[in-house]
Amino acid sequence: MAKTDTIPEAVSPLREAWGQFLKNRPAVFGLALLSVIVGLVLYGHFLHDADPYDIVWMPLTPPGDEAGIWFGTDFLGRDMMTGLLKGGGPTLLVGLSAALITVVIGILMGALAGYFGGWVDDLLMRLTEFFQVLPALLFAMVLVTLFSPSLWTVAFAIGIVSWPQTARLTRAEFLRIRELEYVTAARSIGAGNGRIIARVILPNALPPLIVSATLTIGVAILFEAGLSFLGLGDPNTMSWGLMIGQNRNYILDAWWPVTLPGLAIFLTVFAVSLVGDGLNDAFNPKLRSR
Amino acid sequence: MKLTRRILFGAVASAMALGLAPGMLAAEPRQGGELVIISTQAPRHLNPAVQSGIATGVPGTQIFASLLRYDDEWNPQPYLAESWEWADDGLSLTVNLVQNAVFHDGEPITSSDVAFSIMTIKANHPFQTMFAPVEEVETPDDHTAIFRLSHPHPALLLALSSALSPIIPEHVYGDGQDVANHPANNEPVGSGPFRLVEFRPGEQITLERFDDFFIEGRPYLDRMIIRIVRDPSTLVLAMEAGEADMLPYFSESQGIRRLEGVSGLDFTTRGYEGIGALNWLAFNTRREPLDDVRVRQAIAYAVDRDFIINALHRGTSEPQRGPIIESSPFFNPEIEAYDLDVDRANALLDEAGHERGSDGNRFTLTIDYIPGTAEQQQNVAEYIRSQLRRVGIDVDVRAAPDFPTWAGRVSSGDFDLTMDLVFNWGDPVIGVHRTYLSSNIRPVIWSNTQGYANERVDALLDEAAQEVDAERRTALYAEFQEIIADEVPIYFLNVLPYHTFHDDRLSNIPVSIWGAMQSMDEVYWSEDR
Amino acid sequence: MGTIRYIFRRLGYGLILMVGVVVLNFLLIHAAPGDPAEVIAGEMGGITEQMMADIRARYGLDRPLPVQLGIYLANIARFDLGMSYYFDRPVSQLIGQRIWPTVLLVLTAQVIAIFLGVVMGVLASRRPNGPFSGFVSVFSTVGYAAPVFWTGLMLIILFSVIVPMFPVEGMSSARFRGGGFAYALNVAHHLVLPATTLAIIFLAQYARLSRASMIEVLGADYVRTARAKGLGEGPVIFRHALRNAVLPILTVAGIQFGNLISGALLVETVFNWPGMGRLAFDSVLRRDYPTLLGVLFCASGVVVLANLVTDLSYRLADPRIRTGGR
Repeated sequence: MAKTDTIPEAVSPLREAWGQFLKNRPAVFGLALLSVIVGLVLYGHFLHDADPYDIVWMPLTPPGDEAGIWFGTDFLGRDMMTGLLKGGGPTLLVGLSAALITVVIGILMGALAGYFGGWVDDLLMRLTEFFQVLPALLFAMVLVTLFSPSLWTVAFAIGIVSWPQTARLTRAEFLRIRELEYVTAARSIGAGNGRIIARVILPNALPPLIVSATLTIGVAILFEAGLSFLGLGDPNTMSWGLMIGQNRNYILDAWWPVTLPGLAIFLTVFAVSLVGDGLNDAFNPKLRSR
Repeated sequence: MKLTRRILFGAVASAMALGLAPGMLAAEPRQGGELVIISTQAPRHLNPAVQSGIATGVPGTQIFASLLRYDDEWNPQPYLAESWEWADDGLSLTVNLVQNAVFHDGEPITSSDVAFSIMTIKANHPFQTMFAPVEEVETPDDHTAIFRLSHPHPALLLALSSALSPIIPEHVYGDGQDVANHPANNEPVGSGPFRLVEFRPGEQITLERFDDFFIEGRPYLDRMIIRIVRDPSTLVLAMEAGEADMLPYFSESQGIRRLEGVSGLDFTTRGYEGIGALNWLAFNTRREPLDDVRVRQAIAYAVDRDFIINALHRGTSEPQRGPIIESSPFFNPEIEAYDLDVDRANALLDEAGHERGSDGNRFTLTIDYIPGTAEQQQNVAEYIRSQLRRVGIDVDVRAAPDFPTWAGRVSSGDFDLTMDLVFNWGDPVIGVHRTYLSSNIRPVIWSNTQGYANERVDALLDEAAQEVDAERRTALYAEFQEIIADEVPIYFLNVLPYHTFHDDRLSNIPVSIWGAMQSMDEVYWSEDR
Repeated sequence: MGTIRYIFRRLGYGLILMVGVVVLNFLLIHAAPGDPAEVIAGEMGGITEQMMADIRARYGLDRPLPVQLGIYLANIARFDLGMSYYFDRPVSQLIGQRIWPTVLLVLTAQVIAIFLGVVMGVLASRRPNGPFSGFVSVFSTVGYAAPVFWTGLMLIILFSVIVPMFPVEGMSSARFRGGGFAYALNVAHHLVLPATTLAIIFLAQYARLSRASMIEVLGADYVRTARAKGLGEGPVIFRHALRNAVLPILTVAGIQFGNLISGALLVETVFNWPGMGRLAFDSVLRRDYPTLLGVLFCASGVVVLANLVTDLSYRLADPRIRTGGR
């Protein structure tokens, strides 16, 4: 115990990066936007609470046509506002879980490959290449038809097809960091492999991984929307993707049932990407100025 | 309150719209021109003898001629058959062929081709009831064919028309290869008004006028192109933009309402009587609590057919109350319609012993639907979920990601309620009997997957299949429809709102009972497009 | 000298990957509920049990799964992709018909995205904190964050319906007959909207990447030297900086190929583009296993090739990699 305390703590770049992040106006805007969206999704039911499956009015009533139905109704006559508020949770959940799956698998594979090298590296990188060669959306479609569409299947499918990039990134970081002095130092004082990977290298490899994870959330949300558009989303959980998928045949005459959830997805992904970019710039001081 | 008024208004408005028949008065037909048909249906191949369905039927009936065709009032008309005559005992039918008919390769069409075609269809076509009683087809000379039947078979004439029995060349398909996957199915040598130029699967079928067609001066068109588009909104936009001239079998209400307003386009809802596409809610009558007729009746009373038609389908579809399409001469209008009556539904459920629990629920059911036709199936299932909640039935909508998943559940009896979409195919013997005969409870879709069995129904249908007298036959079907209405193995919702949209300069668009699934040799451009 | 051997090794290895893709998907799709005979039954309006059994027997679906897989792999070894269950014709014929539209779409989109992305990135890099730089990052993020099918639908409504400049669907008009240059023009006209839609998503990454690497390169010593020698801004950017900044873009472009194929599937759906993505999608729904597996085989082959080409051009562009590296 006492021994390991003497392992030199890597200087966390996080605090410094945060300061940089706050100076980046688009990123701060993105963060604010994201907070508003997440706030609405989490606490929206205080504003407006109803069952999103209830038919409340004539199908495809335009927004503002009826008092109380400010966002109009969908193809069944369900309230778009309820759908938007209640559908955000599952959408974000799919995004987050898919990103989590991606990051967990990606970091595990990348860390082991990068740290141990040799045949472990070879094996894991072959596996990574295999999944990179696999056409993602097609493979996700096969998975979804196999397990029948549900939020978890969709999140799982997205996670399974997106981890290789994270794995490569992690591996590259590990390859770089494992040769650095403080890692050698840690090894020399007898720290175990697990400890070095988790406590010494990983924290220093985190910045690009955080950026990548953030961006993965956006990718996953778009992916879910794409699957739903093809009719392969979870039909029993109201989500933004599902709203688009179910209403898309009416888009020529009713713009709102597709455009509003589309806009919600767009704003979320936009916000997430701005935050991701901001983090990227903040972690990567070279980009700050010439 | 306001809601109901709007719905009523919508219904009236749509009824007025449907009353406007397209102008069909034609001047002297003009030769020439090209017709681009646009469709979502991708045919597997082009031989309707071994492949039923609309996708193959539309191009298939242009490429192949049949013995008869039907007009718009269910009357058989000569086509390859010049004339035909029933024997007095109803056990044989003599058909005389036109003299000058040739296949697209120039070989004459003879009675032995007819015999070959009918026997091929009998062996390979999914609709086994069409030619089951046909024991043999005799060919006393090149232009006479005599059908010998094991028992009277009034459905035979209809089975000899349209896509149901194309006359295919024996010298091509009789080479010993399995006709079901014969290479010539993709490059057919046909007998109809148009011959194949190019078939790009899932993309486009190009047909060209066959100059030696046996009807003098026909077809009028030089060329016909069938373009396959998978997305309904794209169909609509392509019609608006004039990229296509005709859109048959279109049933999306939003697109219908949109295209109705496009200048330069006309439409008709005729031409779909033969196919008789019915949309319905089926009960698995083998499962509790649906084995209780009162529960099925309660659900029928709780679901509002008018809402489905007027709100979900925007007034484009027609109601359907029984197993035989309402535009058929066999339909019995006296049967119970199960109009919305929530009180009665609740009472029936109480009576059946399904009291509401503390949460207001009586029991839980699942509902399945055929994926891909959202407006007819999925949307109605979603509506039924929210509607049945009102009578204390909790419904889970079980989505199927694709058709085979749904088909697997329904054919194996793994369902409570399911939406379904079933075609009458002209004569009840072909498309109706299969759903109700207890002998047809089989593990395949569109058989009696409801598991419904009633001895009287079996007897009535068997008798009607062989009854030559039209009036007697109608009476038998009338009683059959009453029993089905009382026992509700199926709650009938609506007829699919098939519309044919077309360029208003096109004349003689197909409005017979078979619509676009019958030769379009009469279609012509009244002015150049 | 080692390049030829390197290529062969990579190709051989790529082939193993492709077979792996096919085997994995073969097992998954066969495990999925629903069978191809049901699809054909559905298309027919209902068929008998006997006919269902015949269909299964014809396609060997009644055999044990390992036997089916063995037969399939034996055929693959002879580059025979089998017969489509649905269309009753060779899969190779279907793919041969659909592969070129997809290649055309994907390559065009890739070229547009790289070109515009680099231009935007270079311009933005000149003043990394300037307003144009901000515009580039926001604009490219907007394009990336909008769901691709939604962008496509909006472009159709804008440029095919409201202002009818471009055709609504397909790769060439149904009425078009003839060939040669007129046909190419017709196809190009149909290509504009789908290629733009697909390019928009990837534009963001290229713009961002080229901005970043340009900023990095412009700060490097040899560029400073060039500037010090009095070279103008144009030559500095194009002769020195861009050449080096293009390398990471090439890498990403290679990696993106897989994603591009996914995007193409959605774009093909929206624009009714007769490509492989649609074919694959329909094949999943139709349980047309041979066609689906054939498309996966070819699509992964395309990715393998794209990666190889990327690596080779990388080796050409940067001689250092030839000697060192993995």
